[in-house]
Amino acid sequence: MTNETEANESGPDAKGPNAKGPVETGPDETGPTATGPTATEPGDGEPRDGEPKDSEPLVSLSDVSKFYGNIRALEEVSLQVHPGEITCVLGDNGAGKSTLIKIISGLHQHDAGSFRIQGEETRLGSPREALDRGIATVYQDLAVVPLMPVWRNFFLGSEPSVGRGPLKRLDVQQMRRTTHRELLRMGIDLRDVDQPIGTLSGGERQSVAIARAIHFGAKVLVLDEPTAALGVKQSGVVLKYVAAARDAGLGVVLITHNPHHAYLVGDRFVLLKRGAMAASYEKEGLELEELVRQMAGGSELEELSHELER
Amino acid sequence: MTVTKEPAKPEGPEGPGEPGLPPEKTDERLVQRSLPARLMRRPELGAVVGAIALFVFFSLVADSFLRASSLSTVLYFSSTIGIMAVPVALLMIGGEFDLSTGVMVTSSALVSSMFSYQMTANIWVGVAVSLLVTLAIGFFNGFMLTRTKLPSFIITLGTFLMLTGLNLGVTKLISGTVSTKSISDMEGFSSAREVFASTLTLGSVDIQITVVWWLVLIALATWILLRTRAGNWIFAVGGGVDAARAVGVPVARTKIGLYMGVAFAAWISGQHLLFNYDVVQSGEGVGNELIYIAAAVIGGCLLTGGYGSAIGAAVGAFIFGMSNKGIVYAQWNPDWFKFFLGAMLLLATLLNAWIRKRAEATR
Amino acid sequence: MASVQRSRPSVRAMGVVMAAVIAAVAGLAGCSSTGGKRAEEARDQAASGKANVTTPRWKVAMVTHSGDGDTYWDIVQSGAKQAAAKDNIEFLYSHDKEAGRQAQLVQAAIDKKVDGLIVTLAKPSAMKNVVKKAVKAGIPVVTINSGQDESRDFGALTHIGQDEVMAGEAVGRELNDKGRKKAICLLHEQGNVGHEERCEGIKKTFDGKVEDLYVDGTNMPGVQSSVEAKLQSDKKVDTVVTLGAPFAATAAEAKKDAGSDAEVDTFDLNAKVAAGLKDGSIGFAVDQQPYLQGYESVDLLWLHRFNADMLGGGKPVLTGPQILTKKDAGKLETFTKRGTR
Repeated sequence: MTNETEANESGPDAKGPNAKGPVETGPDETGPTATGPTATEPGDGEPRDGEPKDSEPLVSLSDVSKFYGNIRALEEVSLQVHPGEITCVLGDNGAGKSTLIKIISGLHQHDAGSFRIQGEETRLGSPREALDRGIATVYQDLAVVPLMPVWRNFFLGSEPSVGRGPLKRLDVQQMRRTTHRELLRMGIDLRDVDQPIGTLSGGERQSVAIARAIHFGAKVLVLDEPTAALGVKQSGVVLKYVAAARDAGLGVVLITHNPHHAYLVGDRFVLLKRGAMAASYEKEGLELEELVRQMAGGSELEELSHELER
Repeated sequence: MTVTKEPAKPEGPEGPGEPGLPPEKTDERLVQRSLPARLMRRPELGAVVGAIALFVFFSLVADSFLRASSLSTVLYFSSTIGIMAVPVALLMIGGEFDLSTGVMVTSSALVSSMFSYQMTANIWVGVAVSLLVTLAIGFFNGFMLTRTKLPSFIITLGTFLMLTGLNLGVTKLISGTVSTKSISDMEGFSSAREVFASTLTLGSVDIQITVVWWLVLIALATWILLRTRAGNWIFAVGGGVDAARAVGVPVARTKIGLYMGVAFAAWISGQHLLFNYDVVQSGEGVGNELIYIAAAVIGGCLLTGGYGSAIGAAVGAFIFGMSNKGIVYAQWNPDWFKFFLGAMLLLATLLNAWIRKRAEATR
Repeated sequence: MASVQRSRPSVRAMGVVMAAVIAAVAGLAGCSSTGGKRAEEARDQAASGKANVTTPRWKVAMVTHSGDGDTYWDIVQSGAKQAAAKDNIEFLYSHDKEAGRQAQLVQAAIDKKVDGLIVTLAKPSAMKNVVKKAVKAGIPVVTINSGQDESRDFGALTHIGQDEVMAGEAVGRELNDKGRKKAICLLHEQGNVGHEERCEGIKKTFDGKVEDLYVDGTNMPGVQSSVEAKLQSDKKVDTVVTLGAPFAATAAEAKKDAGSDAEVDTFDLNAKVAAGLKDGSIGFAVDQQPYLQGYESVDLLWLHRFNADMLGGGKPVLTGPQILTKKDAGKLETFTKRGTR
């Protein structure tokens, strides 16, 4: 309950440093309470933005573990997310990818290890809190509400409003225009932002979700299997947007089980296997073949071939 | 009146309620959709078409139907259904059911009647206590739902049965009989009656005050749904609760709020029941919950949530009222009424599904 | 819906508001100087007896076809309880409006080895076997209210009730005397045999026209607006006969709203009907004395056990129809208020 109360007030605060958000909505915002995006978070905003140190990762996990009862879902996993870089998390089904995501996005809390956001030890209580700290997560199949119009989806959870008191209402004009413009910026030219988002293609829906995260000033974008359900062409479209997000200076966590997609855009690679970290690479010196081999089973595959030989 | 009001409320870019925005700011890149195309997308379209058809039909077959006094009777009955159907529609858009609505109305009436009577208190005290108790029931429904994560069908079925039992048991325990004692001679009764059960005379037409309550609720619900953050959240928790939670929508709070909205309307209906008839039968109201749901569904609400409108539910209630009374005006054998109603519900649902499909296919 | 907004400022804030309102309510202590419980306490209470017989504590069960929260059966019960108190009888009451389940309740009473059984035969065929079973088990059975034609066949000692057709006939004659031309018979429960019989009885004796109007008894505004609609669409209607007491006041309300000058008459009685008789908004009421049905059946079973007495001489014992008009209203008001008429 309590965190939801916070959510109400801190909604637009999620529009962080990414200049577009506040500048656009700023003049229209008259409501003094829940809508003060012009004042970019005074306390915690400063040290982060002011710090030019590139070496400091936006998000860093070291030896993070998570238990469900006595089942070990995640064991001593470490990874780093830097601004303008894409960190790929690869792994088969059940490798612990989704557990990892849930920890980063605030749905679950880790049981051991350290989770730092911009150097600060953190324990996220809710997805809202993660959003407020600049971490936006785009889930594979539940990124959007299919029956709702595109513009309502775009602003869901962080709706700008005008007026005050009982007359406080959604700034519908602003929402429609912003949605259209932001999508255009991503290269999606929607004829009609009023259409239910369910009528868009899978790739477009992912892209809207990504555009939304960028617009609301996410510093870290967590993408859960964005290409899993998509065809080759649509996957290419989505990867383009992922790259666009990176170029916009965001740190991206790309969860995938497709090494080809990962290799195309990734800067760092973390391989998960049965909840544990199997390998970690940097882009330099890494061959696609190695990644594919590791994903296809790697050493396990060799063991298997030994067994079969016997 | 709702029928004519309906098409004038498209959710277009130049929709009502934005007087402050200069028209030239309308984005030129947004393609203006034609009026029919915009209407096609409204959830209540099917209901409006059905209502018009039914209206024309009864006007033709029942000569006394078109009289002002008859229409006022139809409106009165529609409003008693509609006051509940509107918040029930919001709840259904939010993806939940409430089976306890019918008896909750009775509970609300019983509480204010018995509290006033037993405490020999001013009627308004009982009315206030009843509001609190009814809202608490709504809160209980929502709280249990969000805490236990059980389907709302089960939770509210439980509340329904409990309330049915409490209504009878407590009334019997306190009053000694299964209906309440008359409170018409108590202080505050006449003023409460003015608010909840009076008749306004406009020219030669008598309009029951429930119609006014109904219209206010429709306007309020539509405003909340289309123009507030809460409305956005209602659509979201019904259409994709996980997606909504992931972007930070306060799901639990939204749902509890919806249940309390239903409870609020139950309070209004309950007070009307009390002050119109002065004595409340504790066994009343059972079965009405399905009528409210039916009205919402006829009005275009999806059973699975995430889609629908308050105006649609109101039109659904109007359809229900028209057909229920139209049969009397047409002097038909009422044995067939339920069949007629069921067929209409099916037709409306099919029509809605068909329209939605068409609307989505035209893009 | 207002509460959607209301609930926004967190649940805690809401709690504070609620607490404040409660405090305000309590603080106001807004009392009503008229009516209410205090006024009732000032009135006489129905006399509650204590056992004044020497017989051991016998057990009598009553199983009816009543639905939940039916005022009529409430009065039957209070009559039965009064007799039970007087006769040192343990009185067990159960009811179910579905015949199958009512039969199961009778079976349960047989299993409890009661000393006497009172049943209603609203749907005789469903009750036949189980009543015969009770008789076979040696339990004296009295039927009340409905089923006078079957009572003897099933082996019951007697039947106490009102012949519904006869009651309807009485209404028809009364309407003739008043010179009425067209009446509506308001049925609040579709498919209820007794109700159909009442309307049938009216049609038998009434010289004018009778039309049936079915309404949903659990929805008062629905009842009111249907009567209103009927009166608006047919100006010739000069009488509305309701089949249950709670609907009489509603019909009177509808008549007022429709601007019709039809008279409202009703079967059965309650406090509001008594008040309506007094102020003239209700013409007459046909009562079948439910209190008497309850009281007499229990008392008769006691007498039968104590003294092998039986009433009726093989014919039903009739508790109605009794036509009540304005001149009876005065004393009825007191009796209805305490729940015995």
